[in-house]
Amino acid sequence: MKLSIKKIIILLFILICSISTSFSAGSFDNKIKKISKNLRCITCQGQSIDASNSDFALDVKNFIKIKLNEGLNEEQIYELLKKKYGSWIVFKPEFKYDNYLLWGFPYLIFLIGGIYIFIKIRKKIIKF
Amino acid sequence: MIFGELGYYSLIFSILFSILLFFFIYQDYFIKNNNINIKIYSFCFLQFFTIILSFFSLVFSFLLSDFSLASVFENSHSSKPMFYKFSGTWGNHEGSLLLWIAVLSSFLFLFLLNSKKDPKKYRLLTIFFQNILILGFLIFIIKTSNPFEKLIPIPKEGLGLNPILQDPALAIHPPILYIGYVGSSIIFSSSLASMIVNFVSKIWAESIKIWVLISWIFLTLGIMLGSIWAYYELGWGGFWFWDPVENVSLMPWLALTALLHSVIILAKRNIFQSWTVILSIITFALSMNGTFLVRSGILNSIHTFANDPKRGIFILSFLIFLSLLSLIIFFIYQPQKKGNIFFNFSSKEMGIAINNWFMIFFLSAVLIGTIYPILLEVINGKKISVGPPYYNFILTPFLIPFLIIMTISVKMDWIRSSINEKKKELLFLLIFALFFVLMISYFFEEINITVLLIFFSSIFLIFSLFKDFFDFFRNKKKINIAQIISHFGFGLLIFSIAVCSTFSKEIDINLKVGESIKLYNYELKFKDLSMKEDKNFKSIIGNFNLVEANGKIFYFNPELRIYDQPLIMTSEANIKTNFFKDKYIVMNNVSGSDYYNIRFQEKPFMIWIWIASLLIAAGGFLSIILKRN
Repeated sequence: MKLSIKKIIILLFILICSISTSFSAGSFDNKIKKISKNLRCITCQGQSIDASNSDFALDVKNFIKIKLNEGLNEEQIYELLKKKYGSWIVFKPEFKYDNYLLWGFPYLIFLIGGIYIFIKIRKKIIKF
Repeated sequence: MIFGELGYYSLIFSILFSILLFFFIYQDYFIKNNNINIKIYSFCFLQFFTIILSFFSLVFSFLLSDFSLASVFENSHSSKPMFYKFSGTWGNHEGSLLLWIAVLSSFLFLFLLNSKKDPKKYRLLTIFFQNILILGFLIFIIKTSNPFEKLIPIPKEGLGLNPILQDPALAIHPPILYIGYVGSSIIFSSSLASMIVNFVSKIWAESIKIWVLISWIFLTLGIMLGSIWAYYELGWGGFWFWDPVENVSLMPWLALTALLHSVIILAKRNIFQSWTVILSIITFALSMNGTFLVRSGILNSIHTFANDPKRGIFILSFLIFLSLLSLIIFFIYQPQKKGNIFFNFSSKEMGIAINNWFMIFFLSAVLIGTIYPILLEVINGKKISVGPPYYNFILTPFLIPFLIIMTISVKMDWIRSSINEKKKELLFLLIFALFFVLMISYFFEEINITVLLIFFSSIFLIFSLFKDFFDFFRNKKKINIAQIISHFGFGLLIFSIAVCSTFSKEIDINLKVGESIKLYNYELKFKDLSMKEDKNFKSIIGNFNLVEANGKIFYFNPELRIYDQPLIMTSEANIKTNFFKDKYIVMNNVSGSDYYNIRFQEKPFMIWIWIASLLIAAGGFLSIILKRN
């Protein structure tokens, strides 16, 4: 009985994984939306390009449209915009030297926390 | 008018009472009896009274539009509706600070009345530390941000309140949020006091649990109100943007949630003493940090107050002073371990330890994401943005084990529980949840694996709590109903957010009157425009018909409002809500043409996000009521 339940679970997991690996590209408009959600409207106060209706935001949306039509991909468009306006414009900070602490800190805390709990609680844990 | 003077001098008097309180606490501390000197009660009450008096003086100045006061002149207008004159009191830096102090002293007064069973020295020291906070903020308000500052000559009319703040949800958002923030002050004061008198114990945990619950409930509701407001007022259909100002309210919430759990374990098992104290201190430090960041002007956000560097420096110094004070007290009086207490790996104790571990992880991500851009700019002048993609990347994967462990560990008993009994039940639920997720993934092929696992783990939690709930009604199994409701709310919250963000549809189009367009299965018709005039704004209302494939028609009336004082245009979304989804239309004018920019969104399960947040808070509320009876 026990074994069969385990098997079912594994089977279900495999099924889920196999089904969910099919990604679709999404429509053109969705692509513009997705990109403009990851960009900051630098003339507004804390809004994304997508959320804003300012002239700057409209210009950037147009820019994305043109560049997508030219065949550029998402990453290339971010690069172009970063060159023009600085990395302030993208909401996802880059994985690079400057930002190692930003990306690493939470995981470091998680690791330290895990070790701390292990050491502290190991003494308290007994098997009954 | 008289209220300005009354308010100002009441504040001066409350400073005097603060100083007198220090003196009497010192005097009474060395007298060996169990009762606090009646003078301390009197002066606490007087201080509370003068601060409240001062606060209501400001409220009346706003209600009567007394423009001889700078804060009223800058933030109000005689044509504003009464309700927003009232809420305008705390819609600005000076007034909100006075509200902060009013809550600070109210909590002290309530503590004094509700702690009669606790040791005298502990109570005195709590009053002492709370008074340091009150005095600090009183000096701050009088030195840098006096709400009763006079203007000469007296202006005839005020400048008005920012129209996006003229909203019922946002009007009550600050007081509720502040009760949450400032509630943590009494936890902070009492944890310092309890360390000094060596009272960090089961009894202490029991007595502060109520304060933890109160601030946690109000903070939850406060954050929720802010999100609801952002959802319908900011016009982009989102409710959480990982904006720094949102983050600074989330951080104390995460710390409080961890504290709520560690207080429970301290009350039951007398372990985690130092950790509970540390969390108490962290929670208040984060609340202060929030005040500092919002008021210092170093954040780039839609919610920040008008800035003045002097204020930032004052709060920062005060925060550093308090942190140092707590550190010193912690290292001198660190709670001593009493004996050894053991538990099994599969126990509630372990579950709570893991909860705290994850909470600190979530907290550290939000903390570094909020302050890192500020630090980087100071250090090398580079400006970066840390937005939703960062938080989604870091936090989402960790929610999966978090939810699964949450499901399993609430089933555990204290000290030890034999996992074998529960194995069958859990496996059954696991299969059920997997089956459910399988169906979702079968019908919607575009979902990625992380999202599917979030669905799975939240469903697992929800099902398991459902089962507990029904067991309770069937055979009256003893359960902790408050806990079930809050945990259920949390599972539902994560599930709804996942559904909403995965399956929501949104589209931007430009339309002019008379045109119609096909959107998904609907047809959207722009019928006409109408005008309306209200007390302090004019509005242009768009009349839209959204026709479903089966012929059912929804009427939408998004608005463009033009406020006159100050002259600002806002767009008001029109939202049709049902239990399955929200339909959301907002319109904006396109300058130099007769087209309007229409944003249509369909957001499934949106209402459940609010219901879930309410359930989380309701669980806490129920816990207080059950405790009282």
